[in-house]
Amino acid sequence: MVLAKSCLLLLLTLVLPGVLFAQETVCIQCHGGQPGRLGEPVTLWQQSIHAANGISCHSCHGGDPTDFANAMSPARGFIGVPKEEAIPDFCGRCHVGVKEDYLQSAHGKALGLGGPQCVTCHGNHAVRMATPDLINPQDCTRCHDYGRADEIKSAVVETDRMIADLEHSLEALHRVGIATKEMRGELFSLRNDFHRLFHSVDVDKVRSQTADFQQKLGNIRNHGAAIEDELARRKLWGGGAVALLVLGGILALLLHKAYLDEEQR
Amino acid sequence: MAWRKKIMDWLDLRLGIRDLLEQNLTKYLLPRNINVWYTLGAVLITLFVLQFVTGILLLIYYVPNPAEAFQSVSRIMNEVPFGWLIRYLHVVGSNIIVIALLLHMLSVLFMKSYYRPRELTWLSGFLLFNLSLGLCLTGYLLPWSQLSFWATTVATDAAGAIPLIGDEVVRFLRGGAMVGDVTLGRFFALHVMGMPLLLGLLVGLHLFCVRRAGVSRPPFGADYETWEPQGSFRHQEHPGGIPFFPHYTTKDTAVIFFFLAALLGVVFFAPWLFLPPDALEPADPFVTPAHIKPEWYFLWAYQTLKIFPNKILGLGVQVGLMTFLALLPFIDRGPERRPARRPLFVACYVLGVLLIAGISVWGHYS
Amino acid sequence: MENDRIPPERRRFFLTIMLSGIGAVLAAAAAWPVWQYLAPRKGVGEEEKVTIPRDQVPLGRTYFFTFRGHPAVVLQEKAGVFIALTAVCTHLGCIIKWLPEKGEYECPCHAGRFSSSGTVLGGPPPKSLESYPVSVQDDSIVIG
Repeated sequence: MVLAKSCLLLLLTLVLPGVLFAQETVCIQCHGGQPGRLGEPVTLWQQSIHAANGISCHSCHGGDPTDFANAMSPARGFIGVPKEEAIPDFCGRCHVGVKEDYLQSAHGKALGLGGPQCVTCHGNHAVRMATPDLINPQDCTRCHDYGRADEIKSAVVETDRMIADLEHSLEALHRVGIATKEMRGELFSLRNDFHRLFHSVDVDKVRSQTADFQQKLGNIRNHGAAIEDELARRKLWGGGAVALLVLGGILALLLHKAYLDEEQR
Repeated sequence: MAWRKKIMDWLDLRLGIRDLLEQNLTKYLLPRNINVWYTLGAVLITLFVLQFVTGILLLIYYVPNPAEAFQSVSRIMNEVPFGWLIRYLHVVGSNIIVIALLLHMLSVLFMKSYYRPRELTWLSGFLLFNLSLGLCLTGYLLPWSQLSFWATTVATDAAGAIPLIGDEVVRFLRGGAMVGDVTLGRFFALHVMGMPLLLGLLVGLHLFCVRRAGVSRPPFGADYETWEPQGSFRHQEHPGGIPFFPHYTTKDTAVIFFFLAALLGVVFFAPWLFLPPDALEPADPFVTPAHIKPEWYFLWAYQTLKIFPNKILGLGVQVGLMTFLALLPFIDRGPERRPARRPLFVACYVLGVLLIAGISVWGHYS
Repeated sequence: MENDRIPPERRRFFLTIMLSGIGAVLAAAAAWPVWQYLAPRKGVGEEEKVTIPRDQVPLGRTYFFTFRGHPAVVLQEKAGVFIALTAVCTHLGCIIKWLPEKGEYECPCHAGRFSSSGTVLGGPPPKSLESYPVSVQDDSIVIG
């Protein structure tokens, strides 16, 4: 009986989990199978950062994601495709800070008059995590010359690189069990504040605040560096302990040999 | 030192300890050709003691409740002084124990030390092996990370393959339909008290069997002759052998030190080796991680279940293998212990090891 | 090492001394972390408090400050009633803002909303804001 029980215990084998994900929304079920214009958003969305974070169709367009009949019913909050002038409000329902800065900017004031809105630069369904590469000659010269775009890009690129580097270091610390949640939160907050600042498309404003941002980033950097130093210190002590143990083992072996030799005399 | 002799005299008068110490240490003779594999027992005892001590220390700060478990472990790792060290020793220690157990078992198989009169030592050892794996499994639910939650879900799911009573067994293991509060409760009780008690008793039995029957002679050399008791009990003696203390204990000490060096090496320089990224995220019952896999020592079982299209067959093959292993002393009854003269056994042994290793590697990459 | 020259008894003696020495060092190296691990640390009641002049927090308004190293906010919800919360949104870490016209906190990153006592009203935040004990002493508010 004990044998059988322990065999059972031993057989803690795993089967492929299979599809344990949340059920697909009715939006995906319908639009996913449609050709052309109606089905395209699904594939595009699946590559997006929204999809990676669980933001689905109804999160932006409203409607009921569980009920085919009422999926696109205005009574269930369905908004449909926003008109161009309504796009900042559409995205701004979540991205509050960015919307504020955008509306006060030169871009925002040109809304509806040929100026860019969110989708112009970020796309609508295949939205990726924002990087300075969104500022490039092909896209910005659609409306004006690249000169000022280039200026503001240089103003943000260095800080953005600092942010990306910090994200990597924090990820490396997280991988060895350090509690980085707070630092990552701080970094995320700074990153968001910095990116929303860009939307003002005001080079002087960006420049004047860059020093402040870089100082705050520097603080996080120092905090991370202190932890890295502590980890290096631990390795030193650990190395010493390992060396002592190996030495001890060798001494024990020599002692063993000494006893055998002594006995043989 | 005079006071040492005084204390020994006092104890000797009341308990006869001088005689006891002589019989078990200085006058306890071991075969002269005893090899390094025989030290693995002492290594395992040391490692288990380490698990016990680090386990008790972790118990002081760990909270066995799904809402707080992950946080408590994070606190141990980041806020409690040297908490990270105690935790890593416990995690890496458990993996090194499995490695040492496998080496111990493989050396016993190779030298056919399970041959009569040592069948009970083998059986208790087999149970200890299973119990240790059980300790590993119940242990890794406790941090309540994504790995903990999902590996336990899939592991307890496998019991559903048992015909007729499968679903009941799964409910019994989990304490309910899904892994949750009740699962943590019972796994915690098992890991902290139930299994360690049973382990202690079985180790006691195992050591008693070893000491009572006597140490087996390594089966090497052309003049080797298999020893077995004739008709009535006899403790296997080794006249002209080397004393256990201090001759063999120095060898035990050396190997223990080397194993501890390896343990600390991993703890300080590669602590992430036995903690995949999923072990660092708090459990989310609604999100299954993409590539959830069991720990390396269960990969062979995982992959075997994946290979067999029929779950019952897959499970049955593994039960069969385990039963065969447990009953080996009753199946392989020939008196010849020298590996050089057991070509069939050695061939199966090598193939078996390669097969299990191969399936495990396949399981890792699949 | 020319072991043949040194008689085993002497070798044994020195090796035993050295091994015991290493053993003692290792034992001390193991005891120190265990002692530190077990020794009591600063308790919850012993951590620093923050004192703010009462007039810094107008009625219906907030005051942001640093509390034990993190951004925090205190609100005078009603006359004489002060609520102190962490100002770090529980979603991804941005700093919340108080909207007096709505009587709620809003996070500018993804529009998470919290009530004046820190409970989640809408948006992505998974948990409510941690609150801190507040006591009023004459002209000051003491948090913590």
